[in-house]
Amino acid sequence: MNSQKENLDIIQDIKYTDSHVSRVLISPKIKRFVKRTILYIILIAIAFIMLLPLWSGIMAAFKTQADLSLTSPLEPPLNPTLDPFISAWEELQRPLINSILFTSMATIFSCFLGSICGFVLTKLKFKGSNTVFLFLTIGIFLPYQSIIIPLFMTIRNLGIYDSLWAMVLVHTIYGIPMTTLLFRSYYESIPESLINAAKTDGAGILKIYRRLILPLSPLPFVVAAVFQFTSIWNDYLFALILTGANFEPASFALSNMAGGTETAWNQTMAGSFLYSLPIIIIFVLLGKYLMQGLMTGALKG
Amino acid sequence: MTNIIIKNLVKKYGNTFAVNNINLDIKDGELFILLGPSGCGKTTTLLCIAGVIKPEEGEIWFDKKPMTHSAKKVNERPQNRNIAMVFQDYAIYPHMTVFKNIAFPLEITKCGKKEIKRRVYKTAKSLGIEGLLERKPKQLSGGQRQRVALARAIVREPAAFLMDEPLSNLDAKLRVFARAELKKLHKKLGTTIIYVTHDQIEAMSIGDTIAILNEGVLEQVDKPDIIYNFPENLFVAGFIGSPPMNMLDGIFMEKNGDIYIDLDFTEYKLPNRFEKIKKMKINKMVLGVRPEDILISSENVDNSIKAIIDIIEPMGREVEIHLNVGDHAVIALAKSIENLKIGDEIYLILDDKKIHLFDKETKKNVIT
Repeated sequence: MNSQKENLDIIQDIKYTDSHVSRVLISPKIKRFVKRTILYIILIAIAFIMLLPLWSGIMAAFKTQADLSLTSPLEPPLNPTLDPFISAWEELQRPLINSILFTSMATIFSCFLGSICGFVLTKLKFKGSNTVFLFLTIGIFLPYQSIIIPLFMTIRNLGIYDSLWAMVLVHTIYGIPMTTLLFRSYYESIPESLINAAKTDGAGILKIYRRLILPLSPLPFVVAAVFQFTSIWNDYLFALILTGANFEPASFALSNMAGGTETAWNQTMAGSFLYSLPIIIIFVLLGKYLMQGLMTGALKG
Repeated sequence: MTNIIIKNLVKKYGNTFAVNNINLDIKDGELFILLGPSGCGKTTTLLCIAGVIKPEEGEIWFDKKPMTHSAKKVNERPQNRNIAMVFQDYAIYPHMTVFKNIAFPLEITKCGKKEIKRRVYKTAKSLGIEGLLERKPKQLSGGQRQRVALARAIVREPAAFLMDEPLSNLDAKLRVFARAELKKLHKKLGTTIIYVTHDQIEAMSIGDTIAILNEGVLEQVDKPDIIYNFPENLFVAGFIGSPPMNMLDGIFMEKNGDIYIDLDFTEYKLPNRFEKIKKMKINKMVLGVRPEDILISSENVDNSIKAIIDIIEPMGREVEIHLNVGDHAVIALAKSIENLKIGDEIYLILDDKKIHLFDKETKKNVIT
């Protein structure tokens, strides 16, 4: 219906311009232009509102302590300075490195484990594999808050409280259900005959995984990795209960910056910017693949 | 070079039998066809032979070695069976080049690099795909993919090939060509091939032996011409042949020492070779006659059946004539229609040597 109407519009358009008949009639082109203009004005207004906090945050990060009280949050700094960044970097340097370490390690581990789980649950179906998957799925919906105390005690008894390994272990385990779900749905689209072909070609389970499944999985790996990295990077609760002064994650350190009696907002804002940098870089680098991975999910050709 | 024996094979999915007590003896170097409609258990049987599926019961022997033996709890893994499989969708590894695809089974068996290269080139050359070795599967046509799948199977020099409808994804013209190629290949290699198909023409044209399956049960195993001319039961009779065999229900009767089948609209006199039915006490039967064994006559001869022409379909080489006989539809094949037209009343003369009689109860051919 719609396209028919559009065709008609175009035909009318041609008629009126060609015959130079002057009539009081708004051309559809103008109509469309007006519609578009209104739409963009609304969208820009929404974007403006959304970007306002970001703007004032970035502005604050470049302000001196004096400028903070002299200017309104939306105004640019009177004397732009990098000092807040320098002092924020000094304070966040160690926590940021900590965070990058455990986030990347847990991301890699949970992706590989998820990939293996997904492979086993789709292609090597065993008795009770559906039950295993059901329990894994329930794991996704288990609220973190409900297991804080047993988790804390387990980690303490393992002797890894307040260390890199506590964070790696917890985040890897918590990542497995989600990554398994992701890889499982992707592997479901790999035809069974490929696996059977590899089997009759003489490949065992490990070879099938290494030579066939793994090379076919870059897309789900990107999707799972971005997902895991973001959620682990942003985690605050586990950082709060499983770490102390020895191994401080960045999310925790950042909140401490704003937690004292007197908050240096310029420094906190600069810290926030530093903190979100890795995520921004990841999305810029992998965004294209991420979209592709989320859209297709299926293996073709 | 393997003789494959299957004994009492049973595979269940839930409560339904996918394969129900199948026995087969596949001779060394034979091109053996598993034929049947979809869902008859032919692919399941093949996957059991490959070792991909574990049957509930039964034995599978390769020569004198048990590959599957449910009583002894033996079930060799696919990689230890030395068989190569060709799949309906070809199952070519999408991330590897054609060369890598063909080399894959050799790399697994830890062949030397030089040896792999030599064998891949030799095989590719014999199938005419040596120019495609650097391509990815995406860049290949259906026919080329099919060759790559074949090459991957051949390169290993396996004990037997298992083929699961390898030609069904090709277009009609290519399929006929590939069929002939496959037969030539089989002659050249001399390796046992077990070939699954639902296409009876394919089965008849390439098979040395055909096994017909239906709902997990083996209906008949024989040479193609025997299956066509002496079907053991109603299913085989109806499944093989195109257009299919005409089936007419009737009741057996005796009159003045002669034997007849009462077809409702007429009493058809049966030839003497069916005399023994008298002693078999069969009442309801089915008369089967293939379309090409019906002669059309404009005169009412002795023991002919009156019919009216419903549709005439010229097929080029021959003419398919759809007829109404009583309430039944019958198809006859004729060389030409001469001056016949729709609505004409004609007489059918059945070739007495080639009619079949089946017991309606047991569905078996009365002459076995």
